[in-house]
Parts: sequence; C-alpha cells; structure tokens
Amino acid sequence: MPQTAQRKKMNGFFLYWRYIRLHFLSGLQYKGWFLMVIQVIFVVITDPIGTIFLFSRFGSIGAWSMERILLIYSMAITSFGLSESLARGFDSFPWKMVQNGGFDLILLRPRSTFVQVAASVFHIHRLARVASGLIAIAWCLVRLDVAITPWRLFLLLYALAGGCLLYTGVFVLTSGLSFFTIKGLNWIYILTNASYQVTRCPMEYMPQALRTIFVFLVPVMVVSYYPSSVICGWGEPVWTGLLALPAGFAFLGLSFFMWRVGVRHYKSTGS
Amino acid sequence: MNEQFRGEYPAGVMCRPRPLRACLSIFRIKLLESLQYRLAAFTGAATGVFWALIEITVYIVFFTYAENASVPFISNGLTLPQVISYSWLGQVLFGLQVTAIEGDILEKITNGDVGLELCRPLNLFGQWYARTGASHLSTVLLRGGMTLIAGLLMPEPYRLSAPVSWAGFLCFLCSITSAFLLCTAFGTFASVIRLNIAWGNGPMYIMLLLGSVLSGNYLPLQLWPQALQPFLLVQPFAGYLDIPLRLYLGTMPTSQAFAAIALQLIWTAVFVLAGVLLLKRRLADIVVQGG
Repeated sequence: MPQTAQRKKMNGFFLYWRYIRLHFLSGLQYKGWFLMVIQVIFVVITDPIGTIFLFSRFGSIGAWSMERILLIYSMAITSFGLSESLARGFDSFPWKMVQNGGFDLILLRPRSTFVQVAASVFHIHRLARVASGLIAIAWCLVRLDVAITPWRLFLLLYALAGGCLLYTGVFVLTSGLSFFTIKGLNWIYILTNASYQVTRCPMEYMPQALRTIFVFLVPVMVVSYYPSSVICGWGEPVWTGLLALPAGFAFLGLSFFMWRVGVRHYKSTGS
Repeated sequence: MNEQFRGEYPAGVMCRPRPLRACLSIFRIKLLESLQYRLAAFTGAATGVFWALIEITVYIVFFTYAENASVPFISNGLTLPQVISYSWLGQVLFGLQVTAIEGDILEKITNGDVGLELCRPLNLFGQWYARTGASHLSTVLLRGGMTLIAGLLMPEPYRLSAPVSWAGFLCFLCSITSAFLLCTAFGTFASVIRLNIAWGNGPMYIMLLLGSVLSGNYLPLQLWPQALQPFLLVQPFAGYLDIPLRLYLGTMPTSQAFAAIALQLIWTAVFVLAGVLLLKRRLADIVVQGG
C-alpha cells in the first residue's frame, strides 16, 4: 500500500526536509518575502561597516589589512548563516517554545524532538547571509591574491562545515540552557551575534582572556581564523586549520548533552 | 459603544474622555510591568558589557597600532578615552535604540487582537506611543543602569570617563530626554508600518536597521568618512545617540546644544505626524487577521 510505504519512509531525515519544504513554500506567500532577503543582505553589509570605516581612516594594523579581517569575519558569518538556515528552529526556540509552552506539543509526537525543533522554523531570507558571506570570502581571497587550488577550496568548505556544526551547537546549547533561565534570555546574544564580532580584532592583539574563550571554549577562531591563515599562508601550521571540523563536532556533542539534560528538566510554562 | 456606557457610570466619574490621562496610565502600567524582568535586564546588561569590551579592544588596537594612528586629526578630534566612553554610553543607552517594535503591539498585529484595540474610544497612535515609550524607558533604567555601573567600575583603560563639564552633562540630560521622545516616535511609526501584515517584517526591519546604523551605535559618527559629516549630523537618527554623546564628551560645544535639541524635537514631530497620517490611511481599509 502506498500509504504505509510512505509512512515507513518518513524517518527523521525525510521529516526534516518535509518540514523545511513546507516552511519554504509558506514563506513565499508573503508579498514582501524578497524584502526580507534584501533586509538580511543589508544586515550583512552594515554589520562590518564600522570596521571598514576604521580601516579606511586608520590604515592597516601591521600585516593586518582590511581584507584579512573581513575574510575571517566572513568565514564566521557564513558558518553562522548556514547553521541559522538549517537549524533555525533552535535559534528561536527559547523565545517561541519554552516561554509559551509550545514544546509540549512536540513532546507529544512520537518523533525525534531534535528534528522537530530544528525544522520548526525556516526562513528563506536567512540564506541571504550565506550567499553574501560567500561572495565576501571570494572577494577577499581575490584581493589577497590567493589562487584557488582544490586543496584550498576543500579547506574552505571543510572549515565552513565545522563552523556550521559549531553554531548549530551554540543554538542547541542555548536552547538547552533556556529550559533553566526561562525569561532571562539576552545572554544568548553573547554566544550568537556577539561571538563573531570577536573576529574584528586581529589575533595577535587580542587580550589573552578573549583569545582563550574563543579558541578553547567557544571555538569561533578555530573555524574562522586558523583555516583562513592556512588557506592564505599567514604562518599558522596546517594542522590548526584542520581542527575546524573536529572542534565543531565536539562542541555540538557537548551541546547535545546539555539539550538532553534540559529536556529532562523541562516543566511546561504555558497553557 | 462609548455613548452607551457613559450613562451607566455615576455622575462625575467619567463625564468626558481623557485621552492623555488614559495614555499616561498605559505608560505607567507597562513601565511597572517591564521593570519586573530584572533577570532579563541583567543578562541584557551582561551582553552589553561584553559587546562594549570587544569594541573597546578593537578601538585600542586601532588607536595604538594602526599605521595612521599618529597622523594628527586622523580621529577627527576624538581621543581614545572619548571613544571608550562612547562605547559604554552606547550600551547604557541601548534602550533608546529601536531594534524591534514593541512586543505586545507586534503580537496584537499578528494575531488580530488589534481589532480589540480599535474598539477602545482612544487614539491608537497615542496608546502605542505610550506602550513603546514605556518599554524603551524600562530598558534604559534597568539594563542601562546595570551597564553604567559596570562601565564605572572597570579598570583604568577600559573605564567610562566623567562628562566634560557640568554644563555639558546638563545638556546631555536634556538631549537624552528628547532622544527618548524621538526613538519612541520612530518606534511607533515603525509599528504603524508593520500594521500592513501582508508585507511581513522586511520593510520595517530595514528601516529600523538603517536608524541603528546611522545613530552611531556601530561606530561614532565622527569617525565616519569626512565627506558624510554634514549629512550625518542633520539626519534624524543622530538624535538617538550621537548628539547626546557629543554633548557628554564635549565634542559639540554647549552653545550648540539648543540647536541640536531643537533638531531632535523637529524630527520627533515629523515622525509623529507621519505616523498619525499613515495610521489614518491604514485604518480606512485595515484587514484584521484572526479573531
């Protein structure tokens, strides 16, 4: 029977893509959906504007030109955008599902809570951040005279995959912790939108404390600075660039653990 | 509807509607309600402090190590301590940034409860202005207050410095009062634009973001390219943050304070007028969603 065949096929993976497809189509119903795309492009352009103006006024900092900083920044922001597109549900989860008790509904369904939450929201316009991030990376590489070889391309995609895992980890971690701090959620921005601001500061001039946090605790630098350095040959050893994916995996793994703890702790807040 | 009810109240209790008083009560209730979220404000302040510290680090690097750092007038008259104070005050006054429209209003627009608001015999723009204002003020008081304390307690290079003079500080206080009126006007205006649900969030957010960028929140406006300076000073969003901070830091002499504050108030009037007119047009053919 076709129906049972389809039901069998509806495992987590298919469920995820079906959700995403539905959200995608419903997003297109808004008259102004393309305006949201423009909006995100606007965000991506205006976000580093402070840094660009500082460079144009003050000039480079030693070997650190504007293109270098922008490259590292774009690496971080593209990873962020990828994760934001694919696991958007976790991004808005603390606000949308914990505060109003909507998570109850998800617990009632006999499917993976992880898949359901991850695919609960999808916004087309979030892909605009990925697209503009990739364009910025390409522009920086051209300006820095770095020829694209297969190895460098591989390293780039490898780092972005690691970064995507890392930021997915950040979203999952914050969702897990939000079970405990239901109303006070502004701290989440430290790990999300504020964390890639760190890439604006040249690595050598960064205070030790910041460097430790963003290399070892939340490895934003591991998925942005080190791969960029290996790709462009700024002097970091090759193995540091290859840490991106394992670091992303490790962070996501720990976050997943935190999520499980949070779910177990969950007490419904809404009605 | 109002006509029907009026007769039932005891004589003298509600003989005529008092819209201003009603709006003030909405303001007070909303303010008291928002002031309860102290944990939210604390985590918000933590984010603000973190953000300010990263910004300050970047400024220190540029002012110390950049190749043009020693060129005279490269920073357009701003010194490093001034820029650091600017970062702190930018976070203290974060509540005056219009980053989104007020949560209750957005919810009412999206779930259709805005229809209920229309039943009240009270000007909708006035109600929204009161709500928006209360949410901005509560953020400044709580989150801003905590950030201010953190900024004052920081070790030396990172600390928020004192205002340039007493006169400057007084002008600063007047100027943030008008900044408050201005940002509330703009936030309410954005709510009116958002009332057209079919368009979603896009147009509104572009507007809000433009305001945020041009307010000096991303980079002090004095450090923007020289060619843009005259424009940057007269555009409406300098009134959010940059004008009050120039008075605090002393980069704008107090003799110009009067003109600057007048400019803030003119832009406030423009946004209020635009909002009221647009709302009138929107309500003529409004489609309320939900029920």
